[in-house]
Amino acid sequence: MILLGEFALWVALPVSIWGIVLAFVGGRQQRGDLVLSAERSVYAVFFLLCLTSLGIILAFLGGHYEYWYVWAYSSRELETYFKVTGLWAGQRGSLVFWVLLLALFSSIAVFQNRRRNREFMPAVVGVLLTITAFFLGVLLFADVNPFERLAFTPANGQGLNPQLQNYWMTIHPPTLYLGFTSFSVPFAFGIAALVTGKTDARWLVVTRRWTLMSWFFLTNGIIFGMRWAYEELGWGGYWFWDPVENASLLPWLTATAFLHSIMIQEHRGMLKMWNLSLVSLTFLLTVFATFLTRSGLIESVHSFAQNTRIAYIFLAFMGAAAAVCLILILWRKDDLRGERTIESFLSRESAFLMNNLILLGSAFAVLWGTLFPLISEGFAGQKVAVGPAFFNRVNIPIGLVLLALTGIGPVIAWRRATRRNLRRNFQAPVMMAVAVVAGLLIAGMRGFYALATFAICGFVLTILATEFWKGTKARARIEGEGPGRAFLHLIARNRRRWGGYIVHVGIVLMFAGFAGSSFQTEIDQSVEPGDQIRAASPFGHEYVLTYQGLSSSRTPNMWQWVALMDVSRNGRRVGTITSEQRIYVTADQPIREVGIRSTPVEDVYVILAGVDDFEGAVLNDASAQGAVFQVLVRPLVGWIWYGGLVITLGSLIALWPGAGAPVRREVRAAPARTRLAKV
Amino acid sequence: MTILLGAVLVAAAVVLYVVQPVFSGEQAPLTSLDEEFTEAEARRRLSLMALRDVEYDYATGKVDEHDYRRLRDELAREALEALREVRRSQEEAGDAPPQEDAMADDLEREIAAYRIALRAGTLCDQCGSANVEEALFCATCGAPLGPERKERAAPAGRS
Repeated sequence: MILLGEFALWVALPVSIWGIVLAFVGGRQQRGDLVLSAERSVYAVFFLLCLTSLGIILAFLGGHYEYWYVWAYSSRELETYFKVTGLWAGQRGSLVFWVLLLALFSSIAVFQNRRRNREFMPAVVGVLLTITAFFLGVLLFADVNPFERLAFTPANGQGLNPQLQNYWMTIHPPTLYLGFTSFSVPFAFGIAALVTGKTDARWLVVTRRWTLMSWFFLTNGIIFGMRWAYEELGWGGYWFWDPVENASLLPWLTATAFLHSIMIQEHRGMLKMWNLSLVSLTFLLTVFATFLTRSGLIESVHSFAQNTRIAYIFLAFMGAAAAVCLILILWRKDDLRGERTIESFLSRESAFLMNNLILLGSAFAVLWGTLFPLISEGFAGQKVAVGPAFFNRVNIPIGLVLLALTGIGPVIAWRRATRRNLRRNFQAPVMMAVAVVAGLLIAGMRGFYALATFAICGFVLTILATEFWKGTKARARIEGEGPGRAFLHLIARNRRRWGGYIVHVGIVLMFAGFAGSSFQTEIDQSVEPGDQIRAASPFGHEYVLTYQGLSSSRTPNMWQWVALMDVSRNGRRVGTITSEQRIYVTADQPIREVGIRSTPVEDVYVILAGVDDFEGAVLNDASAQGAVFQVLVRPLVGWIWYGGLVITLGSLIALWPGAGAPVRREVRAAPARTRLAKV
Repeated sequence: MTILLGAVLVAAAVVLYVVQPVFSGEQAPLTSLDEEFTEAEARRRLSLMALRDVEYDYATGKVDEHDYRRLRDELAREALEALREVRRSQEEAGDAPPQEDAMADDLEREIAAYRIALRAGTLCDQCGSANVEEALFCATCGAPLGPERKERAAPAGRS
């Protein structure tokens, strides 16, 4: 079965190349049989890659350590669950996983459009299979074949990096990959629009839901990654501007820009070229992100592999893809001219355009910072890393402007907003922002950015709440419904709009969390059982953590020391926190498993930084219980995750299929006459 | 041996499945089978969507009366333009072309219906059909006519 999987991988490449050739030739010569054969290659490649993935998983489950990949990423002691997820634990498997997902989405796209949008399909199939073939080629010829065998069969594997043995880590990469790969579909339609010359809004209408879905997965993937960093990396933070974090943020930034700018094209027939450029750029960045994650080109917490050959292959592919996009766009330049121009600076179009420019600016800054070590190495011969300070300095102001736009966008009118209306719409929100600042200053909060963030959060929330309130009121009045019903119907009737607003609310919550968590208190203390650690939170609560003692145990996989803390808040006992250190059999470095007590107000984050006497602790010696702790109290961190949930809710509302889409799908042009008869 | 057999079977099945259309001449359609997403249809949808947004913006006080009227008329014109084109392309596609006069009449009536529906706010924002002034539900898709619907239309339909 494993051999069959390897064989399937080899078959998949010629099948996809066959499909590419037939799709483009069939599209050009208008030969339906060739196109059908190309479409069948898409399904066939998906089937073959299922076999390949199954083969890899079986190799993991069966402990076939003669395969380098299995040997390097698992061991006999590893739990079964992590053996299955071994498929995406390392570079080689995750490339297979990437192309498997791509094949899955390609198949869905082909199936979905087996009767619709046929003019686009030859080019769409050609583009999707080209991407597939590229990844298959990399797998087979760039020294990353997951089926590569060792010269002998080791008795046991090296084991999985302990930091990856975490729940969030098993769902974070697949979610991100779902986002990366599904974006290939809008990209393929964009290229098809260029190739066929049908550059009107149709390709956007066709791919709208795909784009949203991709954005949804990207967003969740990034948030899962933050969660993983917060729980697992054990330093109290959730974002470090690590190159790989940045790599996943880059396509998110441009995808967000794209999501907004397609609305301008839909409504106003403008920005065609811009949208095609954005869709291409986002696609390139998803490839770039995959490449950066899995090439080890830049030092990062994620770099678990180093292989320069693959780096050049990826760079060549991205260069070629960028060149093709550019040439196609220039070739269709005349068709891409906008139907209209922006009428006024005070309009939703211009607010969206602003949002686009800022998102792109941010993407550029992040890209620059990420690549700076390489650039500096190229020019000055020395790798100079850019620290979080750079990213924060650039991106915090940018983020705040974007945050403000999440409120301004929804209330500013299309085409032309009048000053009087602006005043009416913004008066209350601005007052709210001022009130928030005043309140926080009185409460003793200082710090320009935090104050600004909270002020803008207040501003945006007021606007969004007013929007929901006004809409509900109007509906309740006209339909004679109760407020609850009217509210639900309001959302159901235009899911994209209201789902989008709910996403904005989620973004506001996250920003509040970011700002709040910057006010952390940190205490380092060495304690013996019975000793107390006192930490005052910025909200004025006093936490007392009483150290109970240490307990060590061992499993086949690791040794672990678990420290127990009794927690009381303002003199009242609220529970216990455990914090651990683990030494895995397969790793030398101890790993920290932090203890977190999370409430909506603040998190208490306990790190077991060190154990005074390891040997004594292993024997559970009562006199060897001294330990060093790092205790953090971080306000509002929970809001980041709540915000993430709200974003998920909002995007699901916008994504939900059915009658809530702006215009019903089943309605065709054909019944126009029958409709008339009824009227 | 079984491995070899399995591999041969898989490869043969895949190749047969993929290559079969080229030999049998089975065709994939190269033009859309349903006319759902013609360019004009897409434009018609988009203008109706924009129209709904303008109605909403007006209802919540984001545009003033003057701008509202101007935008609404402009968008209605665009929607009608697209509608005419949708119908033209239908006729080209071979939907039994009606008599010249009858067609002109039809169009006139359809435009008139849209005007009435626009004024009364009974343009369905689910499917874009124009409904009579006193309609509470869309005659085509059954969706209740929404918040954009002017109050003056309400008393007539609701007793």
